Amino acid sequence: MTGPRMTGPRMTGPRMTTGRLAGGLLPLLGRGSTIAALVVVVALPFAFIALQAVFPEIGAGSFARPLAHLATVLRSEDFATQTRNTLALGAGVVVASFAVGVPLAALRALTRLPGALIWDLVFLVPFMIPPYIATLGWIMTLQPAGYLQQLTGVSLGPQLFSFPGIVAVMTLHCFPVVYFAASRAFTAIGARTSDASRVFGAGPLRAFWRVTLPLATPALAASGLLVFAMTIEEYGTPAVLGARFGFDVLVTGIDTSLSDWPIDLPKAALLSIALIALSLAAFALQRWVATRRDAGVVGGKAARAATRPLCGWALPVLVLFAAVAFVSTGLPLLAILATALSRTISGGLTPDNLGLGNFRAVLADSSGALSALGTSFGLGLISAVMAGVLGLAVAFTTARRGSRGGRRAPGAALIDALSMLPNAAPGVVVALGLILLWNQPALPATPYNTLAILVLAYVCILLPQPVRYTVAAFQQVDPALEAAARVHGAGPARAAWRVLVPLVAPSVLAAMLLVFTVAARELVASLLVAPVGVDTIGTYIWRQFDQGSMGEGMAVAFLAIVATTLVPIVILSAMRRLEMPG
Amino acid sequence: MKRLSLLIATTALTAAASAAATAARADITVYTAGPGGLAKALVQGFTKESGIKVNLYQATTGKVMARLKAEQSNPQADVVISASWGTATSFAKQGLLMPYTSPNAAKVPDFLKTDTAVAEGVSALAIAWNPKSGTPRPTDWSDLAKPYYKDKVTMPDPAQSGSAFELVAALDGNGQQGLFGKLHGNGVLVAGANKAALNPVLQGAKAAVFGAVDYISMAAKAKGESVDVIFPESGTVVAPRPMMILKSTTHADEAKKFVDYVLSDAGQAAVAKVYLMPARTDVPAKRPTISELKLLKLDSEGAQAKRAAILGDFAKAMGK
Repeated sequence: MTGPRMTGPRMTGPRMTTGRLAGGLLPLLGRGSTIAALVVVVALPFAFIALQAVFPEIGAGSFARPLAHLATVLRSEDFATQTRNTLALGAGVVVASFAVGVPLAALRALTRLPGALIWDLVFLVPFMIPPYIATLGWIMTLQPAGYLQQLTGVSLGPQLFSFPGIVAVMTLHCFPVVYFAASRAFTAIGARTSDASRVFGAGPLRAFWRVTLPLATPALAASGLLVFAMTIEEYGTPAVLGARFGFDVLVTGIDTSLSDWPIDLPKAALLSIALIALSLAAFALQRWVATRRDAGVVGGKAARAATRPLCGWALPVLVLFAAVAFVSTGLPLLAILATALSRTISGGLTPDNLGLGNFRAVLADSSGALSALGTSFGLGLISAVMAGVLGLAVAFTTARRGSRGGRRAPGAALIDALSMLPNAAPGVVVALGLILLWNQPALPATPYNTLAILVLAYVCILLPQPVRYTVAAFQQVDPALEAAARVHGAGPARAAWRVLVPLVAPSVLAAMLLVFTVAARELVASLLVAPVGVDTIGTYIWRQFDQGSMGEGMAVAFLAIVATTLVPIVILSAMRRLEMPG
Repeated sequence: MKRLSLLIATTALTAAASAAATAARADITVYTAGPGGLAKALVQGFTKESGIKVNLYQATTGKVMARLKAEQSNPQADVVISASWGTATSFAKQGLLMPYTSPNAAKVPDFLKTDTAVAEGVSALAIAWNPKSGTPRPTDWSDLAKPYYKDKVTMPDPAQSGSAFELVAALDGNGQQGLFGKLHGNGVLVAGANKAALNPVLQGAKAAVFGAVDYISMAAKAKGESVDVIFPESGTVVAPRPMMILKSTTHADEAKKFVDYVLSDAGQAAVAKVYLMPARTDVPAKRPTISELKLLKLDSEGAQAKRAAILGDFAKAMGK
């Protein structure tokens, strides 16, 4: 047993040198290819957005009049209002998502909740409903003469078309991010940790507040950041609801400069950079919160059996879960279904106006609905695998404190920043960057005008999700585990593959499901960069709406939601089988 | 890690290669603003007749323009169809268009064609009114400022819709400047582009659209929706949809053939089928045509030159 392997990474001295080299080469290679992939997927498109922001004529290949428009844009009153509204909306949705998601997650993770896996599944559904579809569903339900008024005589139009209304609709879409991250974190922390505090005299609430919640901080902060980023980059909901009462955010400002005559690409790029700056600030805040203390809790086998019984509280808790599920999932789905079943919108919810005509038209595939579904599912799967793998690679290099006692690997900060950039960029801006980059005449070959450009767009837009999930998972892995593997003779690669990867695999898988779902229904970027002649689910539904076939669009939306929910069901039930003891 | 990165690279390459293989087939590329059904019908008819394949990109006028602008250094489109005549004027000024006059354009009236653009079809703005809304049937723009329609009217945003801008400019120029202030006092909702304005009217949340794009509402009515299209007594504006060949095209002959097809009997019949007015006066329409509509006098070029001022006045009238 000679050589440095036995000595352990903490040892210093001349005998370490060869081992360092052998152990350092692989990570170096891995880091190199990770950076290369990030440069292609993220850095280059964003570089072109930055170029566009500086050089207004870059689209025509000219560097004339740099920054000619900077002062006008930044000094305009719109810019200040939109920035303020963006921050208010982001903060509002984060707070509301925590208020809904954390208590539910604590109940789910720390008590013996009846039908726990079913609730997990139900809370996936808000995520499966494309936000612009859900928003339309809410409008059809709550506006005067909407479904609610047709059924009960009550209309909540003024409440919906207001700031709290936007926050509520977006929270119902976003809170599952907090719910899943928090319940995973609480499960990993387990009841045993708080049991220890209860031995020392803390009550259950105090134990949760003082022990479990602080230990879950990295995961909570990461999910908060995701919700903030999702909110400030979301287009559909603020565009549709905000337009009704003059509430403009940066994303709607970007879309306006990209759609209204005269098209203003430089302004759109500048506003995007402002949005990215907001998101990076949030990212810095999240890092500060997450790394303030050591939250390593996965010290070996997770304490699965240590959940508490609910005793007499079972019924109220179930009512709470059912109520949240109904409002976040049931109502929008019913509104979508009602529209899909309606022959005409003006006919309302009367028996002779309802029928399966729209579904029959969709399944007859005369307008290409089925091929759009196929295209989107294929693209979603490819994007999920690529984003998952790349996300794992990024998290591995940036988050693993591993054997070097807290020092971060060189290049980690760069990788981290690159993987975060798309978080704040609305899809339409990523699309713009991709066109500017990949449509350069000098390129010998290009993915532009092929399906690959959509994969690039989806991976770029969604990469922060697997990165955040996996980084949080890595941060919960006790470094002693990897050290133990190394002491027992595993090389760094082997230790990573056999010890770290299995421990973070559930998080990576969850993130990949998320990427699949969001990619499969993405609209805003798809509409701009979809190769000619290709329809995705999002662009297909949009086209139906545009032609006034609201019912057919909603029928496809409903089928897509059902199908994207089935994929996680299959995967979750497979995971459940794996988790079964014995 | 290395294996993972290799996997990324191979997946990306495979996806790119397979996709590249599918994209190389078509012969010309057409970018068009809606309606999608019409675009598809035109492309199918054209390919059947000429054997020339067409790559179709269909979106809103705004998205089509954004894509064209981003692609400026390496234009992909051969033919562009927009829903706003302003596009044709502006592109011609920038020297982006190839002059072409189709032999089939002989029966297209002069004001619907230039050296570099010709209308595919024409729409007009109207009042779209829901007869089940419990309001009296409006007959003119000014009716919608009356108390019956309090909080019951929507209007496309002239800043976002080219045709709504022309309507505002035309009403301004015809002595109706005061109308927008009255509409604002009556609680008119100015929201979004054309599409967004119609749905609240269909469900009954609102009673009427001030300045609806007529063919969309006519198609909705044909599907059984409760909506009437009313052309106001004092007149309205029309929105011709220009069709242009980009100068950068490398398939000029095929692109010209496409324009010819859209202006052929079959092409114009397809245009008429979606309730647009055909550009050619000798092809029958399924709806009132320009000669039957009363038009407001409008100097389009002059209005465009004063665009910022007109929009500013409008915003002020709307209390912004």
